[in-house]
Amino acid sequence: MDASSSGIQEPFDLIRLSLSERVFVKLRGDRELTGVLHAYDGHMNLILSDVEETIMIVDQVEGAPEGHATVNVAKRKMEMLFVRGDGVILVSPPSRT
Amino acid sequence: MAGLQPYVDHRVLLILQDGRAIVGVMAGFDQKSNVVLSDTKERVYSMEEGVEEIPLGLYLVKGDQIVLIGELDEAADKAVDLSTIRAEPLPPIRY
Amino acid sequence: MLIFSVFKTLTDQTVSVELKNDLSITGTLKSVDQFLNIRLDNIKVQDEARHPHMMAVKNCFIRGSVVRYVQLPAEHVDTQLLEDATRRETAVQKR
Repeated sequence: MDASSSGIQEPFDLIRLSLSERVFVKLRGDRELTGVLHAYDGHMNLILSDVEETIMIVDQVEGAPEGHATVNVAKRKMEMLFVRGDGVILVSPPSRT
Repeated sequence: MAGLQPYVDHRVLLILQDGRAIVGVMAGFDQKSNVVLSDTKERVYSMEEGVEEIPLGLYLVKGDQIVLIGELDEAADKAVDLSTIRAEPLPPIRY
Repeated sequence: MLIFSVFKTLTDQTVSVELKNDLSITGTLKSVDQFLNIRLDNIKVQDEARHPHMMAVKNCFIRGSVVRYVQLPAEHVDTQLLEDATRRETAVQKR
């Protein structure tokens, strides 16, 4: 399937085709979301439902050599969420497996 | 639409980008939400001692430094003994 | 414009605004503007013991640029309508 027949000509088309699908979103501040995408705009403001957020909290252990930080993961769920676009690093469409 | 007009002549709390909290009477504002406060005081929070109020007088705050503007319930605010409050300062905004 | 419209339909509903300084404020959405600046009424700060800074604040204006998330009342969001409106808006932008 080439680019024209799949309907993907520009990056935002990839997001448009993910509407009503579960997407993966990487955010600033070591945060990640998965949720069902219902709306977006040109700023990459998003509205997602059934959201799970994962926050990576990196603790640099004192005295440990560099790169030996422990990573704690905090998760929480939110029913319906607006995400401001300036924090969005990437939006990835659902894996079609 | 979400304008600042209702806050004029009211005592307000401003939270700034760097985490500072200042209170004052809103004397005016403009299109860019630059704000002029009178009788301004900075409230410095710490875990070691009570809240310290530093008088700043007439103050102009640039709109892009403002995180939040809250209307203070003056009765509720006066009822709080600031010297008994222990809290970490608010963290700065991180984009 | 689309997101602005969504927020307008949620006026007078309860939302939770999470800021980029990790402060979470729940309140009644009173108004929004094109910058997604938000005015909340009857506010409550999450974890007030740790954040007593807003104790005497009843309503507030939040600058859109410092918002990380807004938790919306799911029962007042028509997801099908949102998806159709998003498709329509992106089609218009392409013209």
